[in-house]
Amino acid sequence: MKHFYIAVLLVFGIQSLAFAQQQIIVTGTVIDKSDRLKSTLPDVSILEGTKVLGQTDRFGKFRVTASSTGKLTFKYVGYKSVTIPINNRTQITVSIEADNTTLKQVEVSSAGYRATSKTLSTGSSVVISGKELQGQPAGDVMSLLQGKVPGLNIQNNTGAPGFRGSVTIRGISNIGISGSGNSTYLSPTSPLYVIDGVPVDDNTNYSYGFQQAGPGTSPASQIPPEDIENVEVLKDAAATALYGSRGAYGVILITTKRGNSKVPVVRYNGAAFVSTVPQLRSVIGGRAESLFKINTILQNDSTQIHALGLINDTPFLADSLNAYWNNSTNWQSYFYRTTYNQNHNLNVSGGDVAFNYKVLLGAFDQKGIQTNTGYSRYNLNMNMIFNPSRKFRLTAQLNNSIQKQQTGSGNGLINGNVGGTGAQSSLLPPPSLFSAANGFLAQQVTENDGKVLNTFATVVADYEVLNNLKLSSTLNYTSITSTKDNFSPAVLNGDQSQFYTYNDKSTKLYNRTQLLYTYSIKEDGEDAHNFTAFAFTEVNANLFKADAILNQRGVNDQLRGPIVNINNYYTSLGGTIDYNDFRSVAFASQLSYNYKQKYIIDLNYRVDGTSSNGPNAGYKKNPAIALKWNFDKENFMQGFSKWLDYGDFRLSYGSNIQPNGTIYDAYGRYAGGPKYNGQTTVLQDLGILPNLDLQPTKATTLNAGFDISVLKNKFTIAFDTYYKQNDNIFQPKPLSETTSFASIASNEISNVNYGYEFLLTTRPLNTTSPFKWSLSANFAINREVLAALPDGLREKIYEDTSNPNLDQDTYFRLGTNSLSNYLFNTKGVYSTNGQVAVDPITGLPLRVGGKGLANYFRAGDPIYADIDGNYVIDDFDKVIAGNSQPQITGGINSLVTWKNWSLEVNASFTLQRDILNNALAQQFLNFNNPTSLGGLSPLSGYNVYSSPGQVATYGTPYDFLRARLINPFRYSQTLFQEDGSYFKLNSIKVYYNFNQKFTQKFGMNRVSINLTASNLGFITNYSGPNPENVTALGRDSSGGYPLSKEFALGLNVEF
Amino acid sequence: MKNMKNKQILFFSLLGATLSFASCKKNLPDNRLSLADNTLYVQQNFQPVLGRNTLFANIVQYGSSSRPLDFKIINFRTFAGDPADELNKIYPVSVWKKAYDGTEKSLAEIDEKRAIENHPLFEIRPHSGELLMWAAANSNTLKTQPDSGYVFDIEMSNSGGRKYFQNFRLMPLKERDFEPSYLDPVLGQGTSTSVFPSAVNIVGERTGQNLGGSVRVLFNKVGNGRSITFKFIDTLSQVIDPNKFATTDWKNLVHGFNMVKTNTSVKFDVAYPIPLTDYPTRYTTVFGGQATSVFKFERKGFGDVLEKNFVALNYNIYKQGDWEVTIWFTGEKPKFDND
Repeated sequence: MKHFYIAVLLVFGIQSLAFAQQQIIVTGTVIDKSDRLKSTLPDVSILEGTKVLGQTDRFGKFRVTASSTGKLTFKYVGYKSVTIPINNRTQITVSIEADNTTLKQVEVSSAGYRATSKTLSTGSSVVISGKELQGQPAGDVMSLLQGKVPGLNIQNNTGAPGFRGSVTIRGISNIGISGSGNSTYLSPTSPLYVIDGVPVDDNTNYSYGFQQAGPGTSPASQIPPEDIENVEVLKDAAATALYGSRGAYGVILITTKRGNSKVPVVRYNGAAFVSTVPQLRSVIGGRAESLFKINTILQNDSTQIHALGLINDTPFLADSLNAYWNNSTNWQSYFYRTTYNQNHNLNVSGGDVAFNYKVLLGAFDQKGIQTNTGYSRYNLNMNMIFNPSRKFRLTAQLNNSIQKQQTGSGNGLINGNVGGTGAQSSLLPPPSLFSAANGFLAQQVTENDGKVLNTFATVVADYEVLNNLKLSSTLNYTSITSTKDNFSPAVLNGDQSQFYTYNDKSTKLYNRTQLLYTYSIKEDGEDAHNFTAFAFTEVNANLFKADAILNQRGVNDQLRGPIVNINNYYTSLGGTIDYNDFRSVAFASQLSYNYKQKYIIDLNYRVDGTSSNGPNAGYKKNPAIALKWNFDKENFMQGFSKWLDYGDFRLSYGSNIQPNGTIYDAYGRYAGGPKYNGQTTVLQDLGILPNLDLQPTKATTLNAGFDISVLKNKFTIAFDTYYKQNDNIFQPKPLSETTSFASIASNEISNVNYGYEFLLTTRPLNTTSPFKWSLSANFAINREVLAALPDGLREKIYEDTSNPNLDQDTYFRLGTNSLSNYLFNTKGVYSTNGQVAVDPITGLPLRVGGKGLANYFRAGDPIYADIDGNYVIDDFDKVIAGNSQPQITGGINSLVTWKNWSLEVNASFTLQRDILNNALAQQFLNFNNPTSLGGLSPLSGYNVYSSPGQVATYGTPYDFLRARLINPFRYSQTLFQEDGSYFKLNSIKVYYNFNQKFTQKFGMNRVSINLTASNLGFITNYSGPNPENVTALGRDSSGGYPLSKEFALGLNVEF
Repeated sequence: MKNMKNKQILFFSLLGATLSFASCKKNLPDNRLSLADNTLYVQQNFQPVLGRNTLFANIVQYGSSSRPLDFKIINFRTFAGDPADELNKIYPVSVWKKAYDGTEKSLAEIDEKRAIENHPLFEIRPHSGELLMWAAANSNTLKTQPDSGYVFDIEMSNSGGRKYFQNFRLMPLKERDFEPSYLDPVLGQGTSTSVFPSAVNIVGERTGQNLGGSVRVLFNKVGNGRSITFKFIDTLSQVIDPNKFATTDWKNLVHGFNMVKTNTSVKFDVAYPIPLTDYPTRYTTVFGGQATSVFKFERKGFGDVLEKNFVALNYNIYKQGDWEVTIWFTGEKPKFDND
């Protein structure tokens, strides 16, 4: 993002003209040019030639004695060195800029297992500086990465605070889906997070909130964005090779901040932010609703007499004098609110090379825009590095966090009460003491509080045994305790309260011991043949146990516990609901060779054993090979060196695995059985047939890449293309009853992702311009193809059995994208009866079901394609339509700096994605039943059929008698499948840095404020409220948690 | 220098190769439809009655085969194995072009909805696999039972491959021009000459008893036009004046035009078959399968009770012609007078 240049901003009075070789005192300040806050830099080394003169103090100030005609060199780790001629000046302000161009970072993978310079790194990876993630308060840091990394597809599909969206690198790696209707979910395939060198798997135990009983927070969300130094996204097999045992879905390295100042520095980052309620559905209220329903019946019933009878049989339509039925309640208003939230971080750091430390205190509190929801996080993160000699280094880190979560009566992602009650008839009285609106009460009074305690302790010891031979060992213990209390008061449960309490404990012990040896053979005095050998062993033990108790029939709302009014154990349901003990061991080695940094070859080999593998599966061997050619170092490129900064080709091939299932899937399980001869028996659990050959999912990636930077980083381009094959994808397979087992864990599914990724960064303005502008654009095309199904099947349908009329099946067919929607193909609306196709032999028009008069299609009905040509529309007329997964994703990020101001704009986009607009379908369906108490939304914005001859998009919703048969607004039709492409304005941040001179009067070194607006809006053709706020399978339901617009005012102070 | 040139060549070829990195798609399976073993015909033996349109619907269970499927009849042969050319020939048949819905105002309007097309007499629907026999088929062109009929095979295919279903039997039954019929389906011979009406609520003049069992209906084709005539006769074949069925809804008795009602009969110009389709209309039964004609009158019964008397007939007539439907009171004259 940034590049190097020198600028002397201010020259204060040249008081005396000094002449040659005169020693003068030079004072000045060193400023971080790449920081939009224009912060000063402490501990910058100042040299004259090779002689060290001193370093800057905590305020970035320096005072050195040097020759008046000499040159000063400013050096700082991670920054480009700057050399400035003194020219008799005694006051110099120097701006130095970080050397973290997207490619030429000095050290990458610092959170990884082995640090490599970017020049020598063969993998496909992208580094995002922590600075880009700041200034925007967020419960989950991953949401801030949206649109920043090509190939990293982040969909913030829920606005529930603290919940994360879906994160996938290079397409989906698992096609498992579960649930039904709007609650059909795709198995998440989140990448592996490596936090400060310790892998943290996101897919087990945490997952989404709905898949398990406890609170669902992501392990990445325990780190406040303000504590992040940088995030690196590793995409291909060469980059992820070392993280093999769970790296099949990609790897994200997160490095937290370290201390680096001699004098303690106290930094405060805080923000107050407002979350606003998004545009809610408009509804027809009160009398208008009542009249609308009456008119619908009068105009569409079979006879006038029947219509009058129907109205008179429906109290809420007929009883015009009853106060209960004559309200105009805006239900949605009771569920949504604007909230005011805050975020505070206090960072204390200090120390030098020999010893440094950092302490971060963080508090984040966000109340959800839905009532009774919210998220808060409290952090105490510490690390210290002790480096007494060149040979020995000890790093210790302790991260503690408490996360609290309230989800109301929903699970955070889907809240049926808000969707359901919010769509109630406006005729009903508003919630009050005297009218129990259960959905509303459930949302308000259900106490659904989750709490996660996370302790993450790491000790790393490095020792240089011999010259160039380094031994290092990392030990991590992580303990996560989650509890969830769900208290449902008596009023919701037939006057007897219900208390569900859940707790789980997850511990992890992790050790990695590694050996690194480097060796160089010199040629003409320079290192020519460079060898690096690296090997490690990795041991990992995870234990997870979850217990829950359900106390029904509580005596009252005040007593919460095992005091229930029927005193037997059946009323206290409880026990261990999940137990998982996972071990893995790995041996890995890497041999890296380069010739004058021109030609690089990396060979990786990794052997993994995991306890969830079947006993016959054994250790999995994962090789990887990577080649790189830095062609800018070639002699024939010397002629281009004026404009070519660097350029390289990369080629890699390798594989990674991801463990599947649990140990029970591989070995089976015993369970207590009935008594036999007075003895309790132990029987095999017939639910799962052990699969002795259970394999982990294996991802094999072939990647080719190309990087180039020209004209002093004016244009930087990175291009990658890949082919990634996921084999052994896990899915339980039902068995025939004759086996007496219900299912077997199978891994016979394969899919392939291939695609292209582009990253272009440009700094179009001249380096001398007062404006600095960095513009970066990226996009990724991903194509996914299903390659194998169990038992050699060519295709398979996941039947949605939630409701036979609303079924949205998912079709798996080899050779096409895995998750295809299987829908009726709607080709419009019949504008006249004559348009309906007629069976030439029977003379009958197209129909559904039997031969009743109402079964035949007529004007105003949707035109469903009759695929099998039998003039009957049935389940066999569905077609494969659409792909629920985004295929093109990307983003545009711009940063403009001018004097004390800077402006950052982030945008992201998703193209080629199909969304099923179930909320709209529901809106139409509500019209089909005028005698039920459902709310109505006006259809004025839609082209709805109303009179013969009209070419409409939507059929008539008013023909309620036939709607039951024709089902014109069934969910499973292409009418409601819409293009979900969008361009989103993620955030706009404006920073202002106060003049240091001014702030130092108040004892503050640096002060800046920022204004941030996030989630500002979309450019989309999608007719629903938000094309991103849909499930991972692309279903937009009214029960989802909407994303709110947020406006933050931030303050950053450094003392 | 040569080395450098080679490297330059390598550079540009790598650049080109990277940009056009054709992801090895050749390992990926084709996007083919599935053709499964569990697709089957649930009916093997087809016995259509000739002279009427017959559709054998719901005879294919698609199983796991994916639509669209293509079906073809192949290898028509007689049961003895000789070629059956009559089934491969095409004949003019009457097909529906627009939906009949019972609101047509004239014969011309009905005729406009149909057209003559050339088709083989026995066909398969190309994508659903349903079999159909056109009304133009008759026992002069096709072998009918008690002959063993024909044997044929069906080929099913889609992009996933093809599959054959073999040895289906086609054993047509002789024409029965009207229903209900007294003809034996196989022999085509009748054991009586009349059928019972669908419902009767009329008492006899002499006994005052319900005439249920003694009312018969005769169907006679008297010409080759397009009309239907209703007549009523008593035990002695004396004509009963149709006007005596005073409350009959004559206009909507059948979907006919130009009603001519005399003292002896009621005649309509009609389109054949009756009913034209299964579409439910005011002239048909509820589900449209048969035309329904009800002749009604009212009289004052014993104890000054209003009796609604009627004779109802649900029927089909498949063959075009001048049909005469005679309702014959064989046991007793109906009682029209008040008690």
